[in-house]
Amino acid sequence: MAVLTVKELSKNYQNIKALQQVSFSVPEKTVFGILGPNGSGKTTLLGIVMDVLKATGGSYSWMGTQQESSAEIRKKIGTLLETPNFYHYLSAKENLVIAAKIKGHGIENIDNVLKIVNLYQRKDSRFSSFSLGMKQRLAIASALLADPEILVLDEPTNGLDPAGIAEIRELIKELNRKGKTIIMASHILDEVEKVCTHVAIIQKGVLKTVGPVNEIMATGTSEGIKNTVIIELAADDNEALKNILQSSNDVNGIVSIDNYLQITCNENISASAINQYCFNKGIVLKMLSEKRKNLETRFLEITGNQSDK
Amino acid sequence: MLELLKIEWLKIKKYTAFILLSSFYVLGVVASNYIVHEFKKNVVDKVQGSQLLFSGSPYDFDVVWKTVTYYSSFFLMLPALLIVILISNEFGFKTHRQNIIDGWSRMQFLNVKVVSAILIALASTLVVFITGLIFGFASGTSFSLNGFENIGYFLLKAISYNMLAVLISLLTKKSGVAITVFFIYTIFENGISLLLFFWAIELKKDYNFDWGNLGNYLPMNASDGLLTSPFQNFSNMASKFLPTDFNWVVLAFAIAYLILFYSWSKRKMLKSDL
Repeated sequence: MAVLTVKELSKNYQNIKALQQVSFSVPEKTVFGILGPNGSGKTTLLGIVMDVLKATGGSYSWMGTQQESSAEIRKKIGTLLETPNFYHYLSAKENLVIAAKIKGHGIENIDNVLKIVNLYQRKDSRFSSFSLGMKQRLAIASALLADPEILVLDEPTNGLDPAGIAEIRELIKELNRKGKTIIMASHILDEVEKVCTHVAIIQKGVLKTVGPVNEIMATGTSEGIKNTVIIELAADDNEALKNILQSSNDVNGIVSIDNYLQITCNENISASAINQYCFNKGIVLKMLSEKRKNLETRFLEITGNQSDK
Repeated sequence: MLELLKIEWLKIKKYTAFILLSSFYVLGVVASNYIVHEFKKNVVDKVQGSQLLFSGSPYDFDVVWKTVTYYSSFFLMLPALLIVILISNEFGFKTHRQNIIDGWSRMQFLNVKVVSAILIALASTLVVFITGLIFGFASGTSFSLNGFENIGYFLLKAISYNMLAVLISLLTKKSGVAITVFFIYTIFENGISLLLFFWAIELKKDYNFDWGNLGNYLPMNASDGLLTSPFQNFSNMASKFLPTDFNWVVLAFAIAYLILFYSWSKRKMLKSDL
């Protein structure tokens, strides 16, 4: 059974269409990434399914239950939405006691989750005295409190230092290995690629593609998206190089980046074929590299290489 | 609901503003009544002819209930202010979202605030009741529950203030704005109420229409109008000119406004983005 199903979910803020008829299902025991540029509607989507925002249209369902009775389901979901939200004048532990009580869960797990996120030593410090990274770790501790089967994490590594980021990513994978379902929104491609098994790519409130990460990255899986090869290359005279590449039928796009060019070619073209082509045209390359097709390249292909404005 | 209230208690029991405002309220109620008591004894009673306007001690049973509720009611702003701060804090810290994310329904969030507001009103009334008992017994008169309905009116006024505080906090979401709106509204309403009172006097005088003190039919003044000054001799003398006090009508208005405050708060809570 799908853990979460959203059906034609839409949300308008006056004239802005933050979400437009988004539909997908989150399979059980997956790490499901919701990937999109800033302002693409990720947090709006999660806000709606956690009932803090009201959808303009469409519906959602957790574990097949009715939307109206989602409060009881939310008690069993560990959630970090946007920013860590705690009472500033209470200590880390006192804040977690409140969260545990709302979840109808005992307080016996509090010390344990504080140890997992390395905050146990500061458990009696006021939340207002915490750094951004510590606040974020407390929010993750709160999400883990009730040992939930489902976790919803919105930008979970926000504000963390590199070691903290690595720890949280490892924690997410570890939780998934234990059979938990994790729904994670992120604008960091690398994060989604490293952690997620499934991904939904959203841009300007529109769902661009959804599916297992390996399928999205494999050739010819996404409907309507042509597969391409990305090659980076440079010569002593990049202008001349650009001119001869423009006359090639196999090159679909050329972008100048610093002191090299990035070209997009048809999928049957290899780096060696480009090398040969340039050599035949009298240009010797001093740099040539075929970029591995990662989620970043797929993402740029899907969203069109521009940030949302 | 008991579980929800226990959680609310965890939120506020260590909050400095809660401790401060509660202390100021208790102090204000006791001190204001003490000042009135001493003023009457040491100043008013020493003025020749004052007996015509102010007869007897305002702290004798049974008039004591009228006196303590009337003077204490000026301090009901403090518990209302506390409620504004507590609810606005939830919006400021975004903990209202977190409470719902963690598993409360929107209605549970609203209802626990409303019940807390009623409990704070009950506690405020209890303080006034105890103050009344102390002053009453100190006056040397024998205990009486005559006039005890004033304690009920006080409770109604406390609930009205607190419910308005809940509504304004939900509508504005920011403590500074909520406090400003709350005070400006009450001042504004008092002004309008006074104008309506004068209008009611004219209506009675010129057209013989007596629909009561129209000013008392406004939201805050409805509960306020039931609490009247213990020094009524002047009013009694002028009763011929003044509109009649239709207490049941005022009471009905007060309750209707409470229902309106709750319905509006509920609509806001259920329909809007948090």
